[in-house]
Parts: sequence; C-alpha cells; structure tokens
Amino acid sequence: MNSSDTSEAHVMKDTDVAPRPPILEVRDLTTYYPVNRGLAGRLLRHEAKTVHAVDGVSLRVDAGEFVALVGESGCGKTSTVMTILGATKANSGSVRVKGEETVGRTPREMLPVYRQLQMIYQDPYGSLDPRFRVSDTVEEPLLVHGVGATRQERRQLVLAALESAGLSPADLYVDRFPHELSGGQRQRVAIATALILEPSLLLADEPVSMLDVSVRASVLNLLDELRRTRDMAIVMVTHDLSTAGHFADRIVVMYLGRIVEEGPAKEVLSNPQHPYTRALISVVPKPDPRDRSTPQTLSGETPNPVDIPVGCRFHPRCPIAREECSQSDPPLRLPVSVRIESHRVACHLA
Amino acid sequence: MISVPLFSVRDLHVWFELPDGRELHAVQGVSFDLHAGEVLGLVGESGCGKTTTILATMGLLPSSAQVAGEIRINGVEILHGGESSVRPHRWRDIAMVFQGAMNCFSPVRTVGSQIVEPMKLHGIAKGADARRRAGELLEMVGIPAASAERFPHEFSGGMRQRAAIAMALACEPKILLADEPTTGLDVMVQAQILELLGSLADKLGLAVVLVTHDLPVVAEACSRAAVMYAGRIAELGSVDDLYHDSHHPYTRLLFAATPDLLGEDRVASIPGAPPRLDREIVGCPFRDRCDSAIEVCASEEPLLHLVGSAHVAACHLNDLIESVTK
Ligand SMILES: Nc1ncnc2c1ncn2[C@@H]1O[C@H](COP(=O)(O)OP(=O)(O)OP(=O)(O)O)[C@@H](O)[C@H]1O
Ligand code: SF4
Ligand SMILES: [Mg+2]
Repeated sequence: MNSSDTSEAHVMKDTDVAPRPPILEVRDLTTYYPVNRGLAGRLLRHEAKTVHAVDGVSLRVDAGEFVALVGESGCGKTSTVMTILGATKANSGSVRVKGEETVGRTPREMLPVYRQLQMIYQDPYGSLDPRFRVSDTVEEPLLVHGVGATRQERRQLVLAALESAGLSPADLYVDRFPHELSGGQRQRVAIATALILEPSLLLADEPVSMLDVSVRASVLNLLDELRRTRDMAIVMVTHDLSTAGHFADRIVVMYLGRIVEEGPAKEVLSNPQHPYTRALISVVPKPDPRDRSTPQTLSGETPNPVDIPVGCRFHPRCPIAREECSQSDPPLRLPVSVRIESHRVACHLA
Repeated sequence: MISVPLFSVRDLHVWFELPDGRELHAVQGVSFDLHAGEVLGLVGESGCGKTTTILATMGLLPSSAQVAGEIRINGVEILHGGESSVRPHRWRDIAMVFQGAMNCFSPVRTVGSQIVEPMKLHGIAKGADARRRAGELLEMVGIPAASAERFPHEFSGGMRQRAAIAMALACEPKILLADEPTTGLDVMVQAQILELLGSLADKLGLAVVLVTHDLPVVAEACSRAAVMYAGRIAELGSVDDLYHDSHHPYTRLLFAATPDLLGEDRVASIPGAPPRLDREIVGCPFRDRCDSAIEVCASEEPLLHLVGSAHVAACHLNDLIESVTK
C-alpha cells in the first residue's frame, strides 16, 4: 500500500527540519460510508457496499504551514477534513493533533481538542445562526470552553477576535445580525469565531468559493497573515488551483480517496508529475487570454468511489496508462526525476 | 459594422419597485451587440445586474419590474410591444439556461420527457418525433441519446448542466443566454461545459451570452466581454484588450484580485462594496473604491467612450488622457 514511503518522507524531513512535533499527523486514515442499498437491494440481499471516501491518507502539517487539499468534487477532500475534525467517524488509521490521538474519541472527549483545532465552512450564509447577533456567535466557543471569567472579559476577547478577522472597528459589527452583513463580512465572523480560542490548526473547506472575487483576496490574505503572525497551521480544501498556488506552501492532490501527488505548491504546479495533476492544471482558466492552452479535459467525472478501479485508481481516465497501471496500485513515492525531495507522486510512470 | 447584429441591446434600464414603494434601479443603460457564432461575456460582482439584464431581454422579469430601452433580434425591436411582441421570440429565437438550472429538473420525470416539454409547448414537435429530437439534442451536448429515459438523479452535476443546455436548445434558438453555467461545478467539468458552449457557437452559429463572475472563465471562453458595475457597463472590449489594455480601474483591479496559476503578483482585494442601487448615484459609481479617482469623479457620471477599436470604457481618466495628448 502507499504508507511505507510516507515514513520515509518523515525520516527525510526530520533530518533537515528542526525537531518540532507536527501540529497534525494523519496516518493511513480511512473513512467508509455505507451505501444505501434501497429496499430492493436489501430484500435481494445484495452485498452491502461501502464508499471508500478516504482510503489510506497520510499527511503531516507543521506549525504555521498552509496546506491546500485539491481535486475534483467527490475525491474525498471534504471527508478528509471532516474526519480530522472528528465530525465523521474514521474506520481506521490515526489522527494526532499536537501529538494526541483523536481517532475513536467521543464528542465529549473531542472537546479539549477543539481548543487547538477549529473549522470554517464554505457557506457564509448557512454557517451563522440568523437569530444570533455577531457577539453571541463569536462568544460561543468561550462559553463552551469556559474561557473568560466575566462578561466584560469575554466582550474584550470578542472585540479583539473581530478586529483580527478584519472587522474593524469591531463595535460597528459586534451587535449586528447576520442579515445585516455582506457575504465577506459573514465569512469574517466565522473566522473570528474559529480564531477566538487561538487554535494551532484551522481547517477550512472552500472558505471563499461563495464570495465575490473582490472579497476573496481579502479573506485569503487574512488567513495568510494569521498563520504568519500566530504560527497557526491551515489546511484548506479548494478546487481552485490558482488560489492554492498563491496561498499554500504545500499542495496535496487527491483522487478517489487517495493522495496521488503532494509537494511544495510552486513545484507541484510548475513540475507536476502525476497525469491527473497535469490534467487539472491544464483546465484552470487563465486570466490572460494569450495564455490559452489546449485543455486536457478528462472524459467523465470522478468515478463512483463504490467501485474503485483495480490497479492505479486513475487508469481508466489516464491518457498515458500502460498495462501495469491496470494491475498494480502505485505507491506514493519520490518521483524519478526528483527536483525537490519533499515531492511525492503515486504513478508508475513518474 | 455593416451587417445588422443578430442581437442588439440598446440603453436597457430596469427598475424594481420595492415593497416599501421605493425603486431600485438594477440596470442603468446597458447596450451591447452580438453576432452569430460569437461568445460574449457578461462579468461582474454579485448584484451588478447580470441576471436582470438577460432576464429583461427574455421578457421574464417579475411584474414589479419596469423595463425601458430597445432589444432587437435581426433588427426587429421586440421590447416595445410588451409581452405579445416578446413571446413569439422567447425560446424560439432567444433561449436561456437559468442560474442553477441543473438543479431545477423535476426528480420524478425522465430527463427526456422534460426536454420534450418546450417542443410540445411551442408546437415544434410532438410524440415520437419530439422524443427522437430530444435524443438528438442530448447527443449534441455529449450525452448518449438512450440516457433520455433516465431520471435526473442518475445524472452527475455536469450531465445535468448539459441536459439543461439541451433543453434550452429544444426550439433551435439563435441566441443562448447562459447564466453562471459553470458556477458550483469543479474545474474539470467547468472546462467540459465551456468547451461545449464554444463548439455550439462554432457549429450551430449560436450567439452566446455567458454570464459569470469569474474573469478567467471569460478570458478562456469569450471573444469579447462587458464588465458590469452597479447596473452599468464599465468597460466592453475584446478579452485581450480588457486584460492587456484596460481603460477602467475596476477592470484592472478585478484582474489584480484574481489569482493566476503561476503568477507571482500579490492578489489584492478591492476594498469596499458596490453602491446601493435604491438611491441615485452621483458621479462615478465606482468612485468610493477607485484607486485613481479625481475631482470630477465625485460630481459627474463618466459616460462610455470609444477608447480603441470596438473597445469602450466609462472613466473620466480616459477623457483626461485624451485632453492631455491633444
Ligand atoms: N425581483 C427583484 N426585486 C427587487 N430587487 C431585485 C430583484 N431582482 C434583483 N434585484 C436587485 O437588482 C440588482 C441586480 O441583481 P441581479 O440578480 O441582476 O445581479 P447579478 O449580477 O445577476 O448577481 P449574482 O452574481 O449575485 O447573480 C441587485 O441589487 C438585486 O438585489
Ligand atoms: S471615473 Fe473616476 S472614480 Fe470612476 S473609475 Fe474612473 S477614475 Fe475611478
Ligand atoms: Mg445572477
């Protein structure tokens, strides 16, 4: 399987990076969802099927690192972060947040972890309760974790969190309701709520995809600044490779529940090794019409993760597949033409 | 231009009457022309009036809306006669794929039967004839004809969007208005849909208006584009001119806010928000967010002027440059 080589990656990293423990360490994580067989299926006793949403993912994130998880919809990006968050149950594998194992914990046992680990979601419209004022929403984590002894103290923390999320002056926003805010401002409230406990890891699922371009940059620049000034690590799910390239240190490309390529963002984009990554890059629309290239559109969409192809799971759509690709599953390893030693790819021909 | 444009919009205005009796001026004098086989982009931030503009040309605005201006198809004005003059053209000459259309199929009927519907309604075809034609339409958008018998939930998002395009083409329109046809789809499917729209324009000579808030999508799929702001066109020109020879600060700042795959430039947001459209705007609507505003911007509305060949922009700086160079 593709786990042996990641330990190799760690050996390499550990030798040349200061021995700070990672903020997040995921090993061989799997998340399976049962498939609804329907009444007929159950009556006919069809074999119960499962969706292998996350199928052996290993990932390490260091303090202050900005990692982008990219891939087509349905490739398992969201399931990966939801499993790390503990909102979806892992089937096997390990998730360590600052060294502490979190897989198998009950929601109650997860609670202390959420002082270190917070999440922001895609939809700035749905993620805030319309009945709550901004102050109530942002204060909530303080109450849950018993931070801030007095009302006054908590109010100060709320105002400070709003300011650091770019809602300034904070008293202009703190007593508003969600419908009195723009989409970008709502996403900033969500960020303030996630930041108020000063977590060391922020998970973000498509945090800007529902915002206007003019606003996106300000939210992303804010996240970038926070991880620099607070040493906070960020794992961001996005299907926008341009955004990933601009803001992330590292890009992790997923396909059908697996990591197929990972490495420093600029390296992955300028020297992609996996044919899937190359196809993804080729279809990114470029703002300069003179950059128009022929997109290598792959036919179809990500296949159903119920029926994962044998061999390399990408081979049915792969433009360069050979015979071996339909027979054995390529491990995640250093590419042959390695330029940067933290680059990994899972392809027989790379 | 010598030939009469296939589709021409002149000085289009739309006002919505708000529940409290005030008026919201959603579209404030939009004009553009479109020729057969051309793909024109309509791009801008949320609320700038893109959807309202194309709904107006289809005569599909709610009764709270008042419309003024001219809309011509092959030179024939269709707006002044009201519903009775628009109706014969709707779907037959000019058709639309609605924002979010791929999620609007009825879950309980086959895709084919839903594509047949507009054909029956407009007396184009019925019975076996219509079903055969539905199959052809699906093939045209890259879906096997046999899939007509399947239900929407058996289609992926990309296939449902293709089917929505097939449905809009049921009555063989000459003009297709596509409202955010790739929003919410991932990059690979987006590329497939853009490829499809381009090939429909090429092969059928379809004139396409592609509405999107995504500049790179416009750069990739359109030959010309109109950048809209606060219900007006700020700049209109070839996509090459918009990127390399922009004559409006808004266009320039929008590009600067857009990350480029391997670009090194810092991505900068545009501070502030578009102005409210339920009040009269004095001066340039972009003034509060503009990085180059001069005194006259606060008092006078900049009008669209020619700044190059088939390239117009509405910004006082252009007049300034002109007067200096003269
Ligand atoms: N039925 C309506 N009644 C009142 N105001 C409306 C109505 N429909 C739209 N508007 C307003 O008209 C303006 C233009 O809206 P429109 O939907 O055309 O924008 P858009 O450019 O398509 O935005 P988006 O990118 O969000 O789809 C907005 O200010 C909007 O709030
Ligand atoms: S007219 Fe003035 S305010 Fe408007 S875009 Fe031009 S310079 Fe900026
Ligand atoms: Mg719209």
